[in-house]
Order: sequence, then structure tokens, then C-alpha cells
Amino acid sequence: MENLGASIVLRMEMITHGQTNGDREEIQEQFGRERTDGDREENLRTILPTMLQQFFDGHRIHCSCEGKRWRERYLDYYDDDYDDDFDFDDDTDPDRRAEVALQTRDGSSCKVITKECLLAAQREDIQRVMELLSLKEHQARTLLIHYRWDVDKVFEVLVEKGKDRLYAEACVMVQDDDNLNSTHCSSLALCEICMEEVPVYKMTTMDCGHCFCNNCWTEHFVVKINEGQSRRISCMAHKCYVVCDEDKIRNYVSEKDPDLAEQFDRYLLESYIEDNKRVKWCPSVPHCGNAIRIEYDEYCEVECACGVQFCFSCSSEAHSPCSCQMWELWTQKCRDESETINWITVNTKNCPKCHKPVEKNGGCNLVKCICGQSFCWLCGGATGFDHTWDSIRGHTCGRFKEEYTANVARATSEIMRYSHYHDRFKAHSDSLKAEITLKEKLQRKISNMEARELEIKNYDWVTNGAERLFRSRRIISYSYPFAYYMFSDTFLSEEMTKEERNIKKNLFEDHQQQLEGHIEKLSGFLEEPFDMYLEEKVMESRMRIMNLSKTADVLCKNLYDYIDNEILLHLGTTINIVPYRSKGADKAVELDL
Amino acid sequence: MVDFGRVQKELQECNKDINVSGISVNPKSDNLTNLIGTIPGPIGTPYEGGTFNIDIDLPDGYPFEPPRMKFATKVWHPNISSQSGAICLDILKDQWSPALTLKTALLSIQALLSAPQPDDPQDAVVAQQYLKDYQTFASTAHYWTESFAKASSLGVEEKVQKLVEMGFPEGLVRSTLEVVGGDENLALEKLCSG
Repeated sequence: MENLGASIVLRMEMITHGQTNGDREEIQEQFGRERTDGDREENLRTILPTMLQQFFDGHRIHCSCEGKRWRERYLDYYDDDYDDDFDFDDDTDPDRRAEVALQTRDGSSCKVITKECLLAAQREDIQRVMELLSLKEHQARTLLIHYRWDVDKVFEVLVEKGKDRLYAEACVMVQDDDNLNSTHCSSLALCEICMEEVPVYKMTTMDCGHCFCNNCWTEHFVVKINEGQSRRISCMAHKCYVVCDEDKIRNYVSEKDPDLAEQFDRYLLESYIEDNKRVKWCPSVPHCGNAIRIEYDEYCEVECACGVQFCFSCSSEAHSPCSCQMWELWTQKCRDESETINWITVNTKNCPKCHKPVEKNGGCNLVKCICGQSFCWLCGGATGFDHTWDSIRGHTCGRFKEEYTANVARATSEIMRYSHYHDRFKAHSDSLKAEITLKEKLQRKISNMEARELEIKNYDWVTNGAERLFRSRRIISYSYPFAYYMFSDTFLSEEMTKEERNIKKNLFEDHQQQLEGHIEKLSGFLEEPFDMYLEEKVMESRMRIMNLSKTADVLCKNLYDYIDNEILLHLGTTINIVPYRSKGADKAVELDL
Repeated sequence: MVDFGRVQKELQECNKDINVSGISVNPKSDNLTNLIGTIPGPIGTPYEGGTFNIDIDLPDGYPFEPPRMKFATKVWHPNISSQSGAICLDILKDQWSPALTLKTALLSIQALLSAPQPDDPQDAVVAQQYLKDYQTFASTAHYWTESFAKASSLGVEEKVQKLVEMGFPEGLVRSTLEVVGGDENLALEKLCSG
């Protein structure tokens, strides 16, 4: 439910009313569809009020009022005896909308999971599912591992498909009572694995009802853990996929090999990170040991407690407004020197004698290599030196001239295009690197001014200005690879006509240019030795920097709005870019448990 | 370590109803980790009438790890490599369960002979042929069965003589023939591979 909430909010904000209505209909349709099914309706009726109550009570712990509002809304919806009017009115109120947006975007919604709190974080989710469905710990864990630790998803499947399907899909078997426990009688039974008669008290029955001797179970567990399948060790019976009770696994394995049992526990623990779509390891090198958990949209940029900023979706450096795909293509392109190689293939020919690449710098089609060999530029074949302006004696070719010229033209313009975008991308990222030292310089300036005991006591405008500069600098820098792909005639060739593309490109470049101008100005003012100025002039600098910071923020937002509303909205292909956040990447806070 | 107690029991069980199933498992040598299984070609298939030998290698973790099986007899089948005899069968890989036995595995292989799955091939050439030209496939498979999977009509002495004529020492020929159960093709293969 949380996710649903967040995604609607983002879209509402981004788009016009028409789109919002579309979403509303979509949701109505979704719920409407379920109602047509008689059984389902009954199912919903009985489960929902209590379940929802429990579910949202659980959620309220960390999702505050947003979840609560959704809860109210859902409860209203179902309590009103399926009133057709799905009430969205409160969200059409602009103030309310802004408030919601603020919560989803600017409230820090991501958490740092350190080694120490991993267990607690995992336990919290397990506990919720255990309480919700009155399951045992291992059953709840299996369920959560199957549904990638998405409690909402578990709930969704429960409502949509019912308990039995929910359990069956995750290979969980729930027994009503504890009559499975081995009885302490000394009678013998046949273990079908080792084919030995074993006293019954030395045998164990799993949730699925299959019973084998403890030695065989232990061997099975050891083999499976070593195969790296700790998270889903299924029963030994053929075609039985029910996952075994982790407590039993732990007990038996630790008797035989305590180290392996520890390893097993670690695998289970790390599943919370590795099988969880809301959690990712921080990509820092050397690794800080942390993982980040997000609450809302996976398309966001986060900052780990160790200071590393990364794109949550692809775990590479933060790259908005580039999409993950664009960024991957771009880094790939910058890495391999395909353009250089391309240039060499197109603009040079290998000498037929020494095989070195030769570039023609003018003149007729008879080319003479540094080694002395003459050859025809058109076909690359070795020739004599006797020639006129348009013919070489004893040599005729030239049939492919047209095609060749066209190829050269295409390759050349592609290279020019790439270097245009790459140069600007690089210039800004280099400036960003250079400006990192600015932070220290500015700190010195602040100390100087403080020492002078000026009227101004608050120097936040300096640090804020610097932060704004870094943030805008990143955005302008990543906007170049974005433009390189977005306005390329090959990347999304089907989506836009040439004219449309040109118009959009020009408008986009206007936005870029405006932002660029302000960034450079801001950078310039911050570099000024304003700490030495007279008080009056310091005030002037302060005003200028504050104004520029504010404008840069607005311009960045405009750039993103333009991308969202004028470019991405009209595409058939979904391109996900991380939305603009005035405060930069989401700083993850310690998980409070 | 391989659970030899269980292997021993499995062999007894399997060979008890050999007349019904036609499936047998025997140790290759004294060592119970190398076995040889035989299955009759299913009736109504190009493999009918043939007897197929399967090399069985038991891993240390048996029965908790699947037995390694491959055809020792050459066979033309989409899911069996015509070169190496490797078998593409799920229960010999991730779908293995300790509750399965050598006999059930061999039965599954026999079932695979009757119902090839060309969409999940081990041998792409055979699979292509199976899909595009079933007639040729069937006759090739039949020919291979005739040539490689039928017990030779030759007596032991004739087999020995034939192999000796090929240049192998008589003592070695006799012992090899014994090991492979009198199959001259298998014996030749073994002799060639040293």
C-alpha cells in the first residue's frame, strides 16, 4: 500500500490532471475487477477489516501519516460497502498534494542497515508476517524470502489469491497442531533414505509430513548448505518442495559441524539484503559493511552513512537525469575507444605494403605512404606513381565512391556529435572535482569573516551556496549524456520524428544553457575573495550568492519538469529517471528499532 | 562417504525383480562406487530390442547428491550426447531427491528413451534431425541400436579372437571382456582407452 501511495503521488505531481484521472480509473478498475468475483468479494469482506487493521498498525511504526491516510482511505472504501466512489478529493487540493510530495521526496525515507542492526531489521518484518498470519518464524521467513521481503506483496497475494495459494507458491506448509513431534517410543520404522530400521524417536517429520531419520536429514542439510542453498532447503522426498524448518536444520547441523551452522545463519541473515528488492548493499570500495533500505520508489539516489552516493536502482554512481540504461551505455561508450577506432577505420586506409594506417590530407586519389608505396585511395590497391588528377595509369575503380562518401559523412558527424556531448560532460565533471577543494577554501573564508566580527553572524549562505553549486553541477554534467541519447536518431528512433526531436532538443538546450550560465556565475561569486571585502560589499555578495542559489534550484527543477512533462510523458517507452530533489541524494539515517 | 549400506540394499532390491523390469545394476569391480546399469530399449521405439549399458558413478554424498550416469552404449537420442553418452535429465541434476534410487533413475532414463524432449536437447544435431526429419531420425536411432546395443551373436571365443587379431594381448582381452559383461564393443572401447 505504501508503494501504491508513493507512486500515485509522484505521478500526480508530475503530470496534469488528465493523467491523474487516468490513474484513478486504473485503481478503480483494479478494485472493481475483484468485486465481480463473488468468492473473492466474500474473501475480501472477511479478511480485510481485521487484516488491514493489523497490517496498517504494523506499518504505522515507520511510515507515519502517509500510511495512515491510506489506511483510512482503504478502510473507508471497504467499510462503505464497496461504494463506487473511490474518494480522491483530498488529493486534488494543491496544498495537500504538495504536502504529500514533500513527504515522499524530501523526508528521508531510506535507512542504513549496519551489520549490527541487520538481525533486528529482519526480525521486524518476520514478526509482522508471523503476527499477521499466525505463522512460525521459519514459515514467515520462507514466505518473505519467496516474496523478496516485500511484506506488502505478501499481503497483496493474500488478498488476491487467498491463504492457500500464498503458502503454496512459497512452498510453505502449515500444520494445524503439533502432532508431528516425534514420540518417545522405541518402536522401529524404516527410513526410506538409508533404508535402515531406525527407532522412531530418532526420526523427524517436517511440516509436509515426510519423515526420515535424523542422520539422513543432517546429511541432506549439510549437502544443501554447501551447495549454497541455505535459503530454501526443501524436503528430501521426491517432488516435495516444502521448505524445512530452520530450527531443525540449525540443531542437526550444529551437532555435526558448528561452523557450517554459523554459515547457515549468516546466509539466512544476508538474505534480508540479497533477496530484498527494497535493500541494496552500499557499493563503497572498500566496503563499509552497510546496506540501504528504501521505503518508497526504487528510482532514487541515496547517500550511505559512509558518504557514498549511489543510484539505488543500478547501484552505480548517482547519475540523474540520465536513466540507468543511458548511464550504462554512456560509461561503456566512454570506456572503450570505439569512436577512435571508428575514426581510424573511416578516415584512414592501410598501406598495402607496410600496413600502417594512412590518412589522406588532400589532393588527388593517388596516395603515397611514408614507406614510399603509392596506392589508390578509393580501393586501397597498390599502384604505380604515374597519374593525372583524375586517373592513375593502368588502374580503374571508383564504383563505390558514393556509398563510401556517405559512410564517411555519417561516421564523421557521429563522432562530432559524441565529442560535443562528451566534452561538455567532462568539462562539468572536471569542474565538480576541482570545486571539491572549494569547500575548504570557503571554510577558511568563513573563519576569516567570523574573526572580523562583522554584523553578519550567520554564514549558512556560503555553505548552502557551495552545496547548491555541487548539486547543480552534477545535474548539468549528467544532462549531457541524457541529451546525447534522448536526441539521438538511433536510441529512440521510433518515438519521435526528426522535427519533433529537433524542437525538443532546442528547448532542452535552452534550459541547459540557462542553468549553465547561473552555475558558472555562482561558481565565480563563490571564488571571489569576499571575506576581504568591506562589510557592505560582503552583504552584496551574500545577496548575490543567495539569489543565485535559489535560481539554480529553480532552474534545475525546471529542467526536470521539462524532461518529465515535455519529453518522457510523450514516449511509448518508459524511461525512469530519478526525480529532482532540491536537497540532493537522500541521506540514509540509522535504522531506529 | 557413500552410504554403502544403502547401495548394497538398492542392488539387492533392484536385481530381485529383474525379470519384470529388465533393469539391473551391478558393480563394475569390488568398489561399490562404480556400477553399471542396464536397461532394455522400450518396446515400440527405435531402441526396441537393444540393451543399453549405463555407467554409474556414485559421488561421495550419495544419496544426498545425484549419481553421475552416462550411456556406455552409443545411442542416437536428442537428450543423450551421441559423442559422450551424457544424459540431459532433470532428476540427475537439480531435481534429484535422496528418496530416489538408482533403479528409479534408470526407469526415468528408460522413460526418456520413449519420450524424447527435443526442446531441451543435449545433442543439438540429433534434436534438429528429430524435429525436421523424424523418419531419418528413427532409422538412424534404429541402426545405432542394431549396431551398438544388441548382444553380439558371436561366442566368447570368437570375440576374444577378433580382439586379439586387432593386436591386443589375449589375457587383457579376456579380463576386459569379463569386466564389461561380454560386450565386445564396450571391451574394444575400454581396450582402446587403455
